[in-house]
Formats: sequence, C-alpha cells, structure tokens
Amino acid sequence: MGLEKIRRIDENRLEVPVDYKAGMRTKGIIYLNRHLEEELEVQSVEQVANVATLPGIVGASLAMPDIHTGYGFSIGGVAGFDIKEGIISPGGVGYDINCGVSLLRSKLTKKELTNSIKDLVMTLYTEIPSGVGSKGKIRLTSEDLKKVLRNGARWAVSEGYGTPADLERIESVGCLDGADPNLISQKAYERGRSQQATLGSGNHFLEIQYVDEIYDEKVANILGLYQDQITVMIHTGSRGFGHQVCTDFIEVMEKASRKYAIDLPDKELSCAPFSSPEGQDYFSAMKAAANFAWANRLCIIHWTREAFQKALKVSPNQLGMGIIYDVAHNIAKIEEHIVNGIKMKLIVHRKGATRAFPPNHPELPEAYRSIGQPVLIPGDMGRASYVLIGTEKGMAETLGSTCHGAGRLMSRHQAIRLAKGRAIWREMEDKGIIVKSAGRETLAEEMSEAYKDISDVVEVVHNAGISTKVARLKPLGVIKG
Amino acid sequence: MNFEIIDISGDIGLRAYGSSLREAFINVGLGMYSLITNIEKIQCKQNIIVALSSESVESLLVNYLNELIFHFDAYGFIGCMIEIAEFSDKKINVKICGDYFDPDIHSRGLLIKAATYHNLKIDKEGDLFTTEVIFDI
Repeated sequence: MGLEKIRRIDENRLEVPVDYKAGMRTKGIIYLNRHLEEELEVQSVEQVANVATLPGIVGASLAMPDIHTGYGFSIGGVAGFDIKEGIISPGGVGYDINCGVSLLRSKLTKKELTNSIKDLVMTLYTEIPSGVGSKGKIRLTSEDLKKVLRNGARWAVSEGYGTPADLERIESVGCLDGADPNLISQKAYERGRSQQATLGSGNHFLEIQYVDEIYDEKVANILGLYQDQITVMIHTGSRGFGHQVCTDFIEVMEKASRKYAIDLPDKELSCAPFSSPEGQDYFSAMKAAANFAWANRLCIIHWTREAFQKALKVSPNQLGMGIIYDVAHNIAKIEEHIVNGIKMKLIVHRKGATRAFPPNHPELPEAYRSIGQPVLIPGDMGRASYVLIGTEKGMAETLGSTCHGAGRLMSRHQAIRLAKGRAIWREMEDKGIIVKSAGRETLAEEMSEAYKDISDVVEVVHNAGISTKVARLKPLGVIKG
Repeated sequence: MNFEIIDISGDIGLRAYGSSLREAFINVGLGMYSLITNIEKIQCKQNIIVALSSESVESLLVNYLNELIFHFDAYGFIGCMIEIAEFSDKKINVKICGDYFDPDIHSRGLLIKAATYHNLKIDKEGDLFTTEVIFDI
C-alpha cells in the first residue's frame, strides 16, 4: 500500500479512495497542496483510511494540511459520526484533551514594549509555572477539583481568575455541561491536583506578539486587531489530567471494541458506540478534562495580565487585555451539520484541528455573529501565527473545521543535532525575539527549522476557502516549558 | 543501559533490549526515566512498588510505563534502579528505587505524558528480546 492510490481532486485537496484499503466505509479527503504533499507521510494517510473504517462515519474522513502521523487518528484529523449509529474514540480526540489556544488583545503597540520586553518575558516566566517537574501555584483538594471538572472556566471566574466577560469569548463559554467527576480515576485526580494553572512543556507556550499584517480590515476591526498592536497567545491544554483520562479510557475502549465487535485496524483507534455506556462514560470524562483545560487557560490569562501590570506598571484599563477568542483543537463535540442535504446530529472529532464556524452560527458570541468564528493558528516560535475566520464553505465541506498549527518537520533529535554548537536563544534575540525556556533542550527542539512553515499550511485552508486569513502575528517574546 | 531512541517527528520512542523480556522491561523503564532527566544524578533514596496485571504482554508493557509516568507526573518520583521481582506475560511486580524530582538540582528533559500502543513491538530474536514503545510528550 502506498501513496500512488491517492488522487488529486484540485490544487488544495487529495482524495484517499474508498478502495485504498479494505473495510473503508467512505473516502478520505486531505487538504494539501502540491508543495506540502512532498512531506506527506504514508502512515498518516493510512490513518485517514483507518478512520474511514469506523462504524457510523458520516461524510468523508478528513485531514487538514498540518496532517502528520498521530495515535489512532492522524494529527489534523476530523471525522463526524452519527450519534445513533456511530462511535466515539479517544484516539480521535488525542491525549491532551482540549489542548487549545487563547489570544488576548491589548492597547499597547510594538514600539511601547521595545525597552521592557526582556523584563516582561522574565516576569511572565516567573509568574507562570512551566516545564518538567513544575508545580502550580494553586493546590486543589478533590472537592475543588470536582468543581473545576464540572464548571471549567466558570470555576476560574468564581475564584477570581478572569471575568464573566472573558467567558463569552471562549469556545463553548469555557464549559461543556454534563461532565461527571465520578467517572474520573483516582490517578487522574492525583495528576490534576497540582497541575491546574500550569503551562506544561514540549510545544506549549506563551507568546508576546505584534500584529504584523492585516488581510481583512473589516473582520480585524470587529475583533479589535490593528497594525503593530501587542497580542498574547497561550497554547496549552489539560496537562497530566487529560493524559490520564485518555490513558484510562483507551483500556476501557479496548475492551468495549471487543464487546461490540468493532473491527479495529489499530489499537489506538479503540472506540465504543457513542450511545453505549462506555461511549457515554468516555464522553463525560472527556468533558471533565476539556473543562480542566479551559480553567487552566483562563488562570494563565489572569496571571499574564498581572505580569504585564507588574512589569510595565500600568493599570488593567491601560492594558485592555481582553480575550479575542479561545479555541479547542483536541476535542469531540455534538454538533448539527447538513450532510447531503439532511440535517444531522453528529459527534464531531477534531484531533489537531480547529472548529471554524461560519457567520450567524448560534454558538458564536453576539459580537462575532456577523463575521464568523475566530480561528487561532499558532506557528513556530520564530516565524508567525495567524488569525483566521470561519466560513460557510468550511461548514459545508469540513464540518466547520480547519487546521490547528504548523506540524513538525523534524524529529526532536534531528533538531537537537542541527542546533548543536548554536545558541538558539541568541539567534532568536538577533531576530528581535526574546525567549526563555525551562527545559535543557527545549529551544533546540522547538526551533523554527523543526517545523513546517505555518504560512504554507494557512495558504491551503485560505485558498480552499474553509477559513480565511484575517491577520498575521509575529513573536516578540516567548516562554516555553 | 541497553536502549536507544526511536526518532519520530512528533514525539519520541524507545527501543530497549534485554537477554530476557524482564531485562528489556527494566531497560525501557530506565530509558524512559533518562528522557526526563539525567538519571545519574538521581540517588536511590526511596522505593516504590508497582504491581500490575494485564490481559496481554503488550498492555502489560504499556500499563507498566504509564504507571511510572503517573508516579512522576503526580508526585515527582523518578527512578534510577528498577528490579522486577515477579514477571510473567500477564503479571508484574516492580520495585523502583529513586528520589523526588527537584528542578533546582535535576536537569529538565522531556515531559513524557503517556506510553502508547502506536507501533508497539515486543520481539525475540535468538536470545535477544526487544521492545519498542512510542511516547506522547
């Protein structure tokens, strides 16, 4: 089996035909141009095909242009399943449940930070726990943690982290209802206890950026974005808590797959019928982890605001650091979609993919109804990140979904080898980017060359029309775990 | 120590060897710890016991590593010596000696968050046992 069976549909899409491998119920569609196709891994295509074999899949098995090999689903994978006939799979959500991105605006401009950026980066690094073995500033009892799991970002607001106005600008208002804390293992509680409000490690980050280019003035205006404005992007998820929930449920789902006689091409695709007790239990536990992540990002937002006030000696009002939006890119949700002219309720899995709803969608905050959902796409620490907006075409073609990031090009060791003898922090500083990281090799692993160019990825979704460009943001200061 | 890194673009994996499956399990555990920090700087101060049973040797391996990850991620416990007192294809009793991670003393490497079934391999060739595991980080 190889890539020769794949057919190009148009400049931005590839088809994985239904006869690519035995058992496929539908075709696969990968959003990819010819340039990015050169990096396409056979195993990731295999994973798109594997998802197409799962019971109850509606429409195609989709993948976004940041596709690469994942566990079960590929990264960049999107698939909707009928809520009556279909399955739910932890492999379609990922280990870091509700890993996602927040973007804050400000009233500051790039010029105003010239002399204070170093102090600001150091203050943020001190105030926001990050890296291996770091402990959060908040210690939670099991009872506290249950409140986090039920209420998500609402819990953070009730504790004084963030404001009610913040909630409106978070996907799903920062909480999925129906999370049952009793379905969570003791181990997940133990891992979650000291990890609430921590950034984590690996590709997670907090970045001070400026608006470098605006592509859509009208939308940028409504989002409150303008040229040279300072923004802050935060990328983190549900930390060890979400990983434990996923690890626990892969075992449960492995047994469930056998019980319900679901033929699996890969153990990481273990799943259960959505309507089964196992399926419902996972969905509820996944919601708890998603809520943990939304609380996490809002606490970090709160400390980011405090760090800016402290380092720049300005008032919250002078800062004006409101949330532009907060998106989840590892999650499964019940959504209504029109497929082949029929309105259907689906359990949509997005694994390394971002929801991108069109204008007038009822789930959007009032302020964004006329423009559509903001989509936040982080790039690597040296190049750029993007703000996009959801479209009708995306709603029709990709279940209202788009890409989530750049995707790695190199393994961590390749990157470390390439960085040998180089001071990545100094190279970054020469480019005007101040970086601070906890890990001994994090900067080498995370250097720009290790990633695909985010602009290539964004070009595909923009040209395909499944979400369109609003603004490009460039880094000034980066905190890595 | 008898292990090597499997280089993949997203995460990281380990290939560990042993003259018995028991030894390969010990080596993959130590290999995983050495991705997190330099374990030569970890002193043998405390013991933890991990006892597990699973339906297959594959899930035994994944569950064992996830148990070590849990003890690190929840409590900061990191091992430098592993003994496996009881070992069968479905049951394992492991004693791990180590210390609690202190970021001021111990170097910070990769934050390993889960062992996966992705491309999992347990092989025997002649007298050499090999395990391959990919980790989510």
